[in-house]
Amino acid sequence: MSTHTSVTGPRFGPLGIYAITYLAFVYIPVMFLPMFSFNDSVFIAFPLKGFTLEWYRALATSDGLIDALYNSVKIAAVVAVLATALGTLAAKAVTRYKIPGRGPVITFIMTPLVIPGIIMGIALLVIVNMLGIEMSVYTIGLGHLLVSTPFSMLIMVSRLEGFDKNLEEASQDLGEGAWRTFWRVTFPLSVPGIIASLLLSFTISFDEFILAFFLGGQDITLPVYIWGQLRFPAKLPVILALGACILAVSFVLVTFAEWFRRRGVQIKTSSGV
Amino acid sequence: MSDEQFISIQNVSKHFGDVHAVDRVSIDIARGEFFSLLGPSGCGKTTLLRMLAGFEFPTAGEIFIDGQAMSTVAPNHRPVNMVFQSYAIFPHLNVSQNIGYSLRKDKLSKADFNSRVGEMLDLIKLSGYEDRASHELSGGERQRVALARALIRRPKVLLLDEPLGALDKQLREQMQLELRSLQRAVGITFVFVTHDQEEALTMSDRIAVMSKGRYLQIDTPTKLYEAPQNREVADFIGTMNFFDASVQDVGDGQASIDAGPLGKLSVSPGNLAFSSGQAALAAIRPEKISISSEKPSGGHVVEGTMDAAAYLGDRSHFYVRVPGVDKPVAVSAQNIDQTHLHGDGNQGQVWLSWSNDAVVLLNKD
Ligand SMILES: Nc1ncnc2c1ncn2[C@@H]1O[C@H](COP(=O)(O)OP(=O)(O)OP(=O)(O)O)[C@@H](O)[C@H]1O
Ligand SMILES: [Mg+2]
Repeated sequence: MSTHTSVTGPRFGPLGIYAITYLAFVYIPVMFLPMFSFNDSVFIAFPLKGFTLEWYRALATSDGLIDALYNSVKIAAVVAVLATALGTLAAKAVTRYKIPGRGPVITFIMTPLVIPGIIMGIALLVIVNMLGIEMSVYTIGLGHLLVSTPFSMLIMVSRLEGFDKNLEEASQDLGEGAWRTFWRVTFPLSVPGIIASLLLSFTISFDEFILAFFLGGQDITLPVYIWGQLRFPAKLPVILALGACILAVSFVLVTFAEWFRRRGVQIKTSSGV
Repeated sequence: MSDEQFISIQNVSKHFGDVHAVDRVSIDIARGEFFSLLGPSGCGKTTLLRMLAGFEFPTAGEIFIDGQAMSTVAPNHRPVNMVFQSYAIFPHLNVSQNIGYSLRKDKLSKADFNSRVGEMLDLIKLSGYEDRASHELSGGERQRVALARALIRRPKVLLLDEPLGALDKQLREQMQLELRSLQRAVGITFVFVTHDQEEALTMSDRIAVMSKGRYLQIDTPTKLYEAPQNREVADFIGTMNFFDASVQDVGDGQASIDAGPLGKLSVSPGNLAFSSGQAALAAIRPEKISISSEKPSGGHVVEGTMDAAAYLGDRSHFYVRVPGVDKPVAVSAQNIDQTHLHGDGNQGQVWLSWSNDAVVLLNKD
């Protein structure tokens, strides 16, 4: 009995109560999504009525939604790949070469991290208008690339700084040029970082509303579509069903990313000299 | 290009901003030589080695390897390979992939690849380790894998940056012998960096003693020890007793000096130039001084009192106060018949003696 208390004891301390409150605060609202998405009523209110898959059926058949989802996935996938490639190369440059003006360059790349999205959106809108470029998924993609690349670069810088630069020199010493060295040493050792960066950039782009709203023109991404649908109360349960799906996919992605990150940490510690 | 100048470092400097890491160094290294760069931490050894490997380019001067100027040659096109201080074993590859890393361009069949790698594994006595991951190796094994990886293409020159630094004393001594016999077996020119003077003395054909980016003396281990050219070298290699002296007369291969408390001596100035009346240093190694509790007959003798004694089993170290000399004189003697000198806290009178050719005459600073 006493061992039992000592094991579970901390749960009932002040910190335990705080932790439970915190988790409840974060997750209970989120749990309403799947719950009401199966509720047989257009009104989001207790008590729950019956169980239904009606909203999921409606979800699968609404055209605008499929288009928006397709746009979002397409943009997010391309942005993830480009941002990660740019972030990796930029990280490689700032960690490995003595480039002149290194400090200002890093600041320049990192600035989009701290510029409020709305300001960025307006600025880009002005430029796109000035240049007379037609607004589409491409302009959204460019905007997203701008905000994701710094995150990717942050991840990759920490990854590249985590391994001995003598490894790359050893590869060169053994006869491989810069590109071969990258493919045979830098890239394999950065894989955990690259995957983390791909997932993060994908999520950033997939989530992003303001830039997509400003720069999309006729092309609509999922967040913009959802925002539009909120004007019709009858469509709300469908949006909840959609939210539940996104939640499930996010959960899988985050678990996957975390698993990779840990694997990366393991490789790093086991190879330390 | 002659074999004597197989590697020719000509007036090479490397500056990092204000730091003169390597400062106007000229060294010729012969083909097949085991050449060491010895010096205290921060004296520019690694920087010089990295310039040979091509990871740094000289601020001034030129490096030739086998007659070819290296100033425009990238690391991957140089006929040299390097063993890094950290070994730099690729953590994502196993032992045979590490050793065979440089064989990609040869497009070998799997069997040929395995046999090339197998040869190297035999050489470093790690057969059977092919599939080991790098984190499953001990420090000594990693070091050997790094060595095999650098040697597999038979480079003309092997560069080694303190490769034994991370090993414990016993393994270190064993690897010193193995490395030396390996070098003889493969006949490759080794440029070996160390800050351990004993290691340099045991392994090298010649040693360059470096300090603050410059080299002080390049010589064989015996010459460096027996005939150092200046005080810094004499101090850095082994232990040395220094006595102020003044040069009285310089003759044909002989110089008469007045070494104060030690009296007047006639010594060989080696290849240093001295002039009459000049202040100089007389230097004597501890083991070249004889110590006894009875006054020896003949030779140069001074009397002193025992300051401290350390018994080291095979040898003893004595520190003897000699009137007129600031620091106690260090004496090292084989323990053949010295036990009486250790007596219970012997504070007694002792006599030190030496022969003329034990004395090295150096410039003051
Ligand atoms: N990339 C660099 N940038 C600036 N200074 C450097 C750089 N590399 C080396 N130095 C400086 O040059 C000097 C020589 O360094 P080096 O690494 O060659 O020393 P070392 O003799 O190998 O020392 P150790 O025995 O500690 O390895 C040091 O003062 C060091 O701080
Ligand atoms: Mg060094």
